Amino acid sequence: MDAIPKHLIPAWLWAVLAVAAMVLALALALTERRREPGPALLYDVSPYEAVDPAKVLFREAKRISLNLDAPTALCVRGDGTILVAGQDAVLVLDSSGGEKGRIAVEGAPDCLAEGPDGRLYLGMRTRIAVHDPHGTHLQSWQDLGPRAWITSIVADEQHVFAADAGNKVICRFDISGNLLNRIGERDPERDIPGLVVPSPYIDVLLDPGGGLWVVNPGRLGFEHYRADGSLASSWYRPGIELDGFSGCCNPIHAVFRSDASLVTVEKGINRVKVYSPDTTLLGVVATPEMIGTLAEAAASFQEEALVRDVAVDSEDRVLVLHGPRRELLIFEERAPKN
Amino acid sequence: MDSRDKIDRREFIRAAAVLAAGGGAWMAARPDAEGMVWQIDPAKCIQCGRCATNCVLNPSAVKCVHTYEICGYCDLCSGYLQPGAKARDTGAENELCPVGALKRKFIEEPFYEYTVDEERCFGCAKCVKGCGQFGNGSLHLQIKRDLCVNCNECSIARNCPSDAIRRVPARRGYLFKQWVSGEESEG
Repeated sequence: MDAIPKHLIPAWLWAVLAVAAMVLALALALTERRREPGPALLYDVSPYEAVDPAKVLFREAKRISLNLDAPTALCVRGDGTILVAGQDAVLVLDSSGGEKGRIAVEGAPDCLAEGPDGRLYLGMRTRIAVHDPHGTHLQSWQDLGPRAWITSIVADEQHVFAADAGNKVICRFDISGNLLNRIGERDPERDIPGLVVPSPYIDVLLDPGGGLWVVNPGRLGFEHYRADGSLASSWYRPGIELDGFSGCCNPIHAVFRSDASLVTVEKGINRVKVYSPDTTLLGVVATPEMIGTLAEAAASFQEEALVRDVAVDSEDRVLVLHGPRRELLIFEERAPKN
Repeated sequence: MDSRDKIDRREFIRAAAVLAAGGGAWMAARPDAEGMVWQIDPAKCIQCGRCATNCVLNPSAVKCVHTYEICGYCDLCSGYLQPGAKARDTGAENELCPVGALKRKFIEEPFYEYTVDEERCFGCAKCVKGCGQFGNGSLHLQIKRDLCVNCNECSIARNCPSDAIRRVPARRGYLFKQWVSGEESEG
């Protein structure tokens, strides 16, 4: 069969067809769009992060930038000095935030506390390191085993209590470092439900009367124990609403003020709140907007909690240690208490 | 130059074809030759939801997987329950997963085990986000090797806002999360 003579398709038509093909290819390549996920596929808790301004009882009085890598823990000493632990050091600040010195440590303490005699207790993952009031290392207590993860310490005149998140227990030591008993282990005969610790956050604290309180994060509340390990009382408040503790395991930190009101810190929805001694929510110290919203944390790939610790000073101001920002945020109550 | 020394065009093309075929065979046969496949890096994933809608397959080859050693076996699981769930039970109105692909089974008080029904899961990452933002992040997304058709240019990778999808060797085709380090393990 004879080939089609070239002149049957004129050159100009070839050119037009070629241009049309190119335009079509470009249009297809540049306009390829696939469906965006609809609202049913998106996880959004932003409505729960919004806080009624009338509920915010505190204001940020001061923000101290910390010259410290990876801040992890915080405590306020009896003389008003502020200690902030971080990588290889404990920063010593005066009450206004000025640096007075630093204590060298090996690694990063997960928690620290001051005893009534001024000695310092540092949680070094599986053991407690004891320092004299000037920061000199005195001794390290017994290792609590490979699973141990000491996340909180408090001390009174006779005892040191260490929260071990890895073993899900509170260890009670005498001030010489002898382990006296374990508190919080599940014991149905004594009506002790057991500490539920899904993530490495568990806090132990003393109320102004010296009572021992333990955060039970998996049950989203608090348990009050006697020194012998018997359970005196408990209260739990699961819920994402403002008056509850959200997620699987909250609160992550807590501290009592001098009037026995309780300051709590949550992760996930990063909020700091204050409860009255009868467990009623009084209001908010710091909103997620002040600390960092979930969206901000996700965008910066922050998997750890933003707030690393909380403390109260002698003026009942609330000190919040912000890890990623390496800042100490100081909040004071808006109106004087009645 | 003598015309007998010249290589004509046909000989040149024949030699080039032999070289190309030989080179290709050598590349394919060498001991370290290995196929590469697409996989999601959980450390970079921001759970945007596009894995569900951008895969060329329907449903997507991306599924939720569970690293049990990280899971807290929580009763109030933020990957399972709606943020404002009225009750902690298996009621559909309380479940976070839009297709009910995450299953919950009572173990002992107060612990529950969570498993993923892969037939139902289509990789929307809603549960992954809930788990990661409140819990330990034991739920995460992976491209299933038995489903993925390994496109030359992965449609999800092209649209991933955080560049979380990358090529990995086929013999270690998964990037599972693991406990303690928080980093993924290749397996």
